[in-house]
Amino acid sequence: MADRTLDHDRAARRLWPALALPGTFWLIALFLVPFYAVMAVAFSGYINVFGEPIPAWNPLSWKFDTFTQVLSASVTGEYRAVWIRTGTYTVAALAICVAVGYPVAYYTARLAGKRRGLVLALILAPWWINYITRMLAWVNLLQDDGYVNKTLGIFGVAPISWLSGNAFTVVLALAYGYLPFFIIPLFASLDRIDQRLLEASRDLGVGMVRTFLHVTLPLSKIGLVTAMVITALPLTGDYYTNAIVSGSPNTTMVGNQVELFLLQGPQKNLGAGLVLLLSLVLMFFMAYYLVLTQRASRETR
Amino acid sequence: MNFEGFDPAGRRRPRPQLSRRRLLQGTVWLGAGVGAAPLLGACGGDNPAASSGNSAPYPLARPDRPVKLPIKDSNPPIDDGLDPETGGVFKILNYDAYMAPGIMKAFGAEYDVDVQVTPYTNYDEMLSKIRAPGQSFDLVFPGPGQMSKMVFTDLIQPLNHSYIPNLENLWPEYQDPWYDKGAQYTVPYTIYTTGVVYRADRVSSVPENGYDLIWDEKYAGKIYILDDMWEAIGMSMLRNGLTTNINTSDASLVQKATDSLIELIDSVNIKANINAYTEVPEGKATIHQGWSGDVIAGQYYLPKGETPEVLGYWVPEESSKRVTGNDCIAIPKSAKKPMLAHTLINDLLDNDISLRNFGWNGYQPPINKLSAEYLIDQGYIPKNLGSAVVVPDDFKTGITTYEVAPSTEALWRQNWSKFKAGG
Repeated sequence: MADRTLDHDRAARRLWPALALPGTFWLIALFLVPFYAVMAVAFSGYINVFGEPIPAWNPLSWKFDTFTQVLSASVTGEYRAVWIRTGTYTVAALAICVAVGYPVAYYTARLAGKRRGLVLALILAPWWINYITRMLAWVNLLQDDGYVNKTLGIFGVAPISWLSGNAFTVVLALAYGYLPFFIIPLFASLDRIDQRLLEASRDLGVGMVRTFLHVTLPLSKIGLVTAMVITALPLTGDYYTNAIVSGSPNTTMVGNQVELFLLQGPQKNLGAGLVLLLSLVLMFFMAYYLVLTQRASRETR
Repeated sequence: MNFEGFDPAGRRRPRPQLSRRRLLQGTVWLGAGVGAAPLLGACGGDNPAASSGNSAPYPLARPDRPVKLPIKDSNPPIDDGLDPETGGVFKILNYDAYMAPGIMKAFGAEYDVDVQVTPYTNYDEMLSKIRAPGQSFDLVFPGPGQMSKMVFTDLIQPLNHSYIPNLENLWPEYQDPWYDKGAQYTVPYTIYTTGVVYRADRVSSVPENGYDLIWDEKYAGKIYILDDMWEAIGMSMLRNGLTTNINTSDASLVQKATDSLIELIDSVNIKANINAYTEVPEGKATIHQGWSGDVIAGQYYLPKGETPEVLGYWVPEESSKRVTGNDCIAIPKSAKKPMLAHTLINDLLDNDISLRNFGWNGYQPPINKLSAEYLIDQGYIPKNLGSAVVVPDDFKTGITTYEVAPSTEALWRQNWSKFKAGG
């Protein structure tokens, strides 16, 4: 009996690391190796006859001139506005996600009852349609003689040119595109809040609003932050939403600038430099998120 | 027996569990990496012929300094007297909507091949696609601006003229062009001028310097330039009278021209793409820097009920002030069906087939028979768009983009990225 427990323990000890293998492989093959490749391109010191960087695979031969150039252009030069714009759009789009997504997630988790499956299905339904198609639908709605302007016209509002470099349109499209990413993790978190805590709060004579503010909101804080992080990461680097609903230098985000260098010309070292910077910025926020979740899990213990 | 599930409390022995939060954390980390994945493709082993400094390791052709491209023993033309290959695929690397589908279909049927087109939006993309490891293409459409570089790096192969008798249908100057003396590697495909495509029904009067239309705040929000740094910055140079050398390596001129484009971002909300042939007819754009072929093809993209009279095209009156260009046809070194490629080249220089192709894409081939008068008489070009016809003088005296040194190219790119960043 005792031996068997030992065997079982040993098997378990081998099993858990084995389960981590696919993930580890995935991480190495699809994250570490590409990331190293980005660095090899960003820190390349030589270009070939086509003007493309020759990747420097050996870290000893890394040159940082191009990266320094990208960095200074980002801090004080021509890309400064691009970074500020990217940050502003991300914050604005996240604000819309919170304003729209929180009530929806709350409703689904707490109040939808029997219809919860249906509501979830409806939230996920847009994902059945290709992202580009959904964005092109916006173009149809928002074009100069589109339905939005026609509707506004009924109320005597002059047509607005939504699609020519309008920052509001870009933010709206970003928020729309990534909203399901926001709702689902938040829903999961709200769904796990113990019903009894809410009942206890009510039993002690606290109203709905205060129960929400003092019980639900603090308990969903981590879920909220998770949802924001998951939404913000792809959103910050997005470029095609912008390309479809704006296409103007007025609304260029970092992703568009990266696309210019990587896909429309040979200067991939500049693009790779921007990718590294973007990763650094996002990692900073990720680190904050990790600290936050660690602290939260320590508190629950 | 030891059944874990029987433990009522279930937490006597804590197990390392992958909590949802951990999973999410992991996913987030991975998410940061996925964005980098496409880069891997860009990092294949490459020709380490590093270059720097002012000169190029290959000859830079100029209209007044023509270049006869070298023929290397390692990259010879195909032999005489071969039969065209049949069966399988025939792969074309070309701009989108640049060759009539009917011609490709008929060609495919005749030689029992499946004709496939891989599209690109600019020459940079063409270069990266043709160089992708393991890729092969049978036909490609470069411009004079990449010619020497492509020969130097063995991307295209010399032509065997014995398979291209229709070469004599071309304007004499194009049988022996300055960028490829003797047409050893390429034959011309289309010729065009770069000007301003506009909606004649919305633009009341065209100023003498038609480029001013692009700076006209009356049409703000409806003005586009070409998404091509040479065309856009070069146009700004001409408009502002900075220089007529639209290939200049003078940093201050390139910067001034770019600054003038950057002003357009705030003043007219400028946008950049290469779709004048649809944007202007459909009314999305009122003013669009564009190619002559755009406005001729544009008549086929008009909404129902509108006639070509709503379209207009401005280029300078004098040939010597016009920006002209041409695209060529070449056979990649990687071609699997080089003989069949020669056959298609010869077809595209045929009087009837080239006319059919022009009737579809709007881009004029420099074929003797297809003169301006002929094309207008035959109804291919509406009278009001006569300015879109390219004449031999445009090629002889016009302003054109040519191949420049890598340092000049880098200078232009730096300025262009500044414009793209919003100034």
